[in-house]
Amino acid sequence: MKKITVGIVDYGVGNHASVRHTLNELGLRCRTSDDPVVLDGCDVLLLPGVGAFRPAIEALRARALDRYLLDRADRNLPLLGICLGMQLLAQASHEDGFTHGLGLVPGEVVELPAPHWHIGWNTIEQVQVDPLFHESDGQSFYFNHSYAYRGPIEFQICRTNAGEEFASAIRRDRIVGVQFHPEKSQAAGRALLRQLIVGLCDA
Amino acid sequence: MLKKRLVGVITVRDGWAVQSFGYRRYLPLGHPEKLAENLDRWGADEILVLCIDRTRRNVGPDFDLLRRLGSLGLSTPLAFGGGIRTVAEAGAIIQSGAERVCIDAALRDAGVVGGISALVGAQAIIGVLPLSFDGAGLQRLDYLSGRSTPLTAADLSLFDRRVVSEALIVDWRHEGMTAAFDFNLIRRFPAPDVPLIAFGGVSEADQLKMLFDDDRVAAVGIGNSLSYREHAVQMLKRQAGGTSIRAARFVSDSR
Repeated sequence: MKKITVGIVDYGVGNHASVRHTLNELGLRCRTSDDPVVLDGCDVLLLPGVGAFRPAIEALRARALDRYLLDRADRNLPLLGICLGMQLLAQASHEDGFTHGLGLVPGEVVELPAPHWHIGWNTIEQVQVDPLFHESDGQSFYFNHSYAYRGPIEFQICRTNAGEEFASAIRRDRIVGVQFHPEKSQAAGRALLRQLIVGLCDA
Repeated sequence: MLKKRLVGVITVRDGWAVQSFGYRRYLPLGHPEKLAENLDRWGADEILVLCIDRTRRNVGPDFDLLRRLGSLGLSTPLAFGGGIRTVAEAGAIIQSGAERVCIDAALRDAGVVGGISALVGAQAIIGVLPLSFDGAGLQRLDYLSGRSTPLTAADLSLFDRRVVSEALIVDWRHEGMTAAFDFNLIRRFPAPDVPLIAFGGVSEADQLKMLFDDDRVAAVGIGNSLSYREHAVQMLKRQAGGTSIRAARFVSDSR
């Protein structure tokens, strides 16, 4: 069986080291790059992200990676966004004003209602049948955010209750986003990350 | 629902994990990365590494230690603090493998904290407040001068404006002691909407339960006693957590 190569999109934002370690532990080959030639040699791309929306999308644009990711999506190649990386998939965010996102998944990113923060471990509940998330339904993962995706229900795969419910996993074809950090969610996170990477390659 | 967190706190001085007693006396424990590795294996909900000498020495964050921690491939969220003076230093900490930064002395510089917040997001910032209760009100300790002054509205403005997400309430007088946390620090904390992490003198399940029962408490930090008691993470979670905390796990659970 061919060893899967995961391309971590390096746009100067995000915690690449943790993601890379976890992927290596899972036996997956990793390349971290902002070079489309390198990323094109990967089976699936992972878009990490920690921080605020605006500087992140600006960093992607500054490296022309926004156009590259759109082009990959046109070619129906798989992409996984984590935390801020999931939010960047949306059409826009209202964090610190209005900012356009990649627009790969219809919907916008809005502030969570009071108490505004969602920091810690919470469960995900599957609201659409999806084999990628089936085994992880009801399990706890680590979240750290104050904004969340809001969009059509057809793209929402899992939801999480933080006082009010929000979409904690979204999907459009071979593009998946998770609001939590599977790489920092211990055994449950590793199992889901493997399922997502392998499943997206097979999808 | 969001679970409350049991946080393993590693206090570091001169690059070594130490048991601290009120931040005045210290005993060496060993390599910080060994403690972090164990907390990760044992299922702590978060690991918080505090380098307590970096701010006083004005030498910036201990990036060597952070690199060593990063090389472990921890699968538990990591918060890292001590010595952060600039936006760039905070950004570099996040880039190096920590999910969150702990800001202590720099909390008094709203410009720096605002810049950090804009770069990494307020959810990634924990504000450190070393407090004591003098019978009349809360006092905030200034690490650099060693003096305590009344906690003021100005001390809390960054929390109120949501530039910083959580407050680490350090009971510095009881830190390193058994079952000694002063609950006045939580009960009398004047900003009810700020999520609190209680730390210092928490070691027993009944304390933990009382803290978790308080709506304002999002997490409880435990230092040495979490690392040096048999299956302390599992025991405390089982005895104190109820449904408010993520269930205790054993490595064998995932096999």
